[in-house]
Amino acid sequence: MNIDRESSESEAPAYHLILEGILILWIIRLLFSKTYKLQERSDLTEKEKEELIEEWQPEPLVPLVSKDHPSLNYDVVTGPPSHKIIVNGKECVNFASFNFLGLLESERVKLKALSSLKKYGVGTCGPRGFYGTFDVHLELEERLAKFMRTEEAIIYSYGFATIASAIPAYSKRGDIIFVDEAACFSIQKGLQASRSFIKYFKHNDMEDLERLLKEQEIEDQKNPRKAKVIRRFIVIEGLYINTADLCPLPELVKLKYKYKVRIFLEESMSFGVLGEHGRGVTEHFGVNIDDIDLISANMENALASIGGFCCGRSFVIDHQRLSGQGYCFSASLPPMLAAAAIEALNIMEEDPGLFRVLRDKCKHVHKALQGTPGLKVVGEPLAPALHLQLENSSGSRTDDLKLLRAIVDYVRYNNRSEAKGRKRCGRKKCTSNRDNHTLKRIVKQNPFKNVGEIHKEWTVAGVSASRTTTHRRMQDMGFSCRIPCVKPLLNNRQHQKRLASKRTGLLLSGPKLCSLMKVNFAFPLEIRVPESGGREERHTIHVA
Amino acid sequence: MQLLNRKYLFSFSCKMRFSKLFYSQLLKLMFYSVLFFVCRQKSKMNVGVAHSEVNPNTRVMNSRGIWLTYALGVGMLHIVLLSIPFFTVPVVWTLTNVIHNFGMYVFMHAVKGTPFETPDQGKARLLTHWEQLDYGVQFTSSRKFFTISPIILYFLASFYTKYDTAHFVINTASLLSVLIPKLPQLHGVRIFGINKY
Repeated sequence: MNIDRESSESEAPAYHLILEGILILWIIRLLFSKTYKLQERSDLTEKEKEELIEEWQPEPLVPLVSKDHPSLNYDVVTGPPSHKIIVNGKECVNFASFNFLGLLESERVKLKALSSLKKYGVGTCGPRGFYGTFDVHLELEERLAKFMRTEEAIIYSYGFATIASAIPAYSKRGDIIFVDEAACFSIQKGLQASRSFIKYFKHNDMEDLERLLKEQEIEDQKNPRKAKVIRRFIVIEGLYINTADLCPLPELVKLKYKYKVRIFLEESMSFGVLGEHGRGVTEHFGVNIDDIDLISANMENALASIGGFCCGRSFVIDHQRLSGQGYCFSASLPPMLAAAAIEALNIMEEDPGLFRVLRDKCKHVHKALQGTPGLKVVGEPLAPALHLQLENSSGSRTDDLKLLRAIVDYVRYNNRSEAKGRKRCGRKKCTSNRDNHTLKRIVKQNPFKNVGEIHKEWTVAGVSASRTTTHRRMQDMGFSCRIPCVKPLLNNRQHQKRLASKRTGLLLSGPKLCSLMKVNFAFPLEIRVPESGGREERHTIHVA
Repeated sequence: MQLLNRKYLFSFSCKMRFSKLFYSQLLKLMFYSVLFFVCRQKSKMNVGVAHSEVNPNTRVMNSRGIWLTYALGVGMLHIVLLSIPFFTVPVVWTLTNVIHNFGMYVFMHAVKGTPFETPDQGKARLLTHWEQLDYGVQFTSSRKFFTISPIILYFLASFYTKYDTAHFVINTASLLSVLIPKLPQLHGVRIFGINKY
């Protein structure tokens, strides 16, 4: 023990004391150093910063706007939007709606929504995590998952926010997303929010995408540790809103497995439109739905509700319940609309014939719009929403917009029956183009009716025109009347002919007579020439 | 607190599929759970309530009571090691020093990112905890405290090991491994690309 105590009192070695001294000095320095932020190097000197500040001129808070800015001259819609829509007091056919299946005016859906309104009230007043989850939400999620044949689905209360929340929930800084150039605005906002590296490939160009994927693969091989940490996604739309054409899904699935990328499919336009049962572009192409990692769709188009949903594998969708910003931090879908969506799904499931009817109508409209001079139709025949573009752009956007506006105004005001100014001088038309179309439709429906009945029907449809007018119109359109109401009177020549033929029997003209003369009859033929000289020599043969 | 823990645990379980250092994150999470249990009263970090802190990792070392917890933790470690009958006092001190420095290196300078998901889309995914402290501001009080504490421990250890050469080498190497990463010049630096991604 004594020896130990003695050795413990031995001097510390010199190097140790020096080290301890350095450490104590270090502590003192530490205690007296000020906190500072590690500056990100900026390349501007103070003088340059001052110069920039001097140069800056503030823009006016309210900039000057021209009087014919389109937002200042808007059209006012009154009444409910359905097949017909009343714009500025005039009833028009509604081609500006995304109500593809017509479920917006379905009585079943409306009744269900009203009963739900009576039961739950209007809003939920809370996000999903804070007393905003109702049984209709859970039921709708289950029904959607079952309809799309995936494991789980999640509902958002705003269609735009669906894909814009889904993308940043999975893709963070440092990850790579390959997007089609024609991606819609909500996808672009989602990409911006995700802070990832975005690589655009040309629209529907699989070679371009493959080139980008190959470049990424080469970079990954250079740095495999980095490659293990970053995630790669492809974001595509089933039916693009901006160009109305389909994505080549089977090739994309092949690329997915070749380059180990995840696919996010946005099906707003194709849900309830494509496929045998309306399940979207995966059913249309016959692709296994488990190959797509996430399907996101808007319920505001074919399903005629509000909000959106995402569906996919359970572990993928579950992540959005805490990370989907639009899910966690927005009030949930009003239960009235959720009930309406459930009823719409019921209708879709009961009657898959709806989709065939829709596709036929789309093809019909696509064909009918071809050949408009100056405008070209952009989009697939299957697409329920098409683009009409100017064939030759003038180069400036404002001029193009003005021209399109002029076309719209011309079409809107062209059907007026009262003429104005020098536009319609000359004989006044008593029926408008629209009335003529109505007449055409009536005639086509009833090919065997006579003019009187058609005239009656046309009058019932709201046109004031006489029977002679209907007859004239029908002849102009190329329909000949089958049954004349009034038998025409014979003129003099016709009358004499008939009398003569009755009196004399057969009346034959020259060539026929010659050929008859060559025949040997059993009985003798007597040929009598009539007294009156007609235009042609007519001989009568009296069979004795 | 239940809500917060559950959220963290849930995000943590989702993050598992993406994180490489599974067990280190697990350890870190256990450490946090112990911490929350200890400093639950009047904590500056507002444990268990909604807060607008984007990355809580930056503020946790400023929480009320955490320095005391840390000191007590080191004391507990030392007492446990002392209770083991086979170790002599110098060995125990060296062991305390080494285990403390090893734990500090792993938690502060090796494990990257956060055990929970942050709303800033993964800004701190490639940063160690030391680099995340106070959003990268250098020489704040908690940074000073955690730089000085291994030095104090080193002084004590070198005294109690009677300046023996072998112990000296081990203790100094361990101290350097924990002091050098704390220099502001080495903020965000990954030598030889180790631990970069």
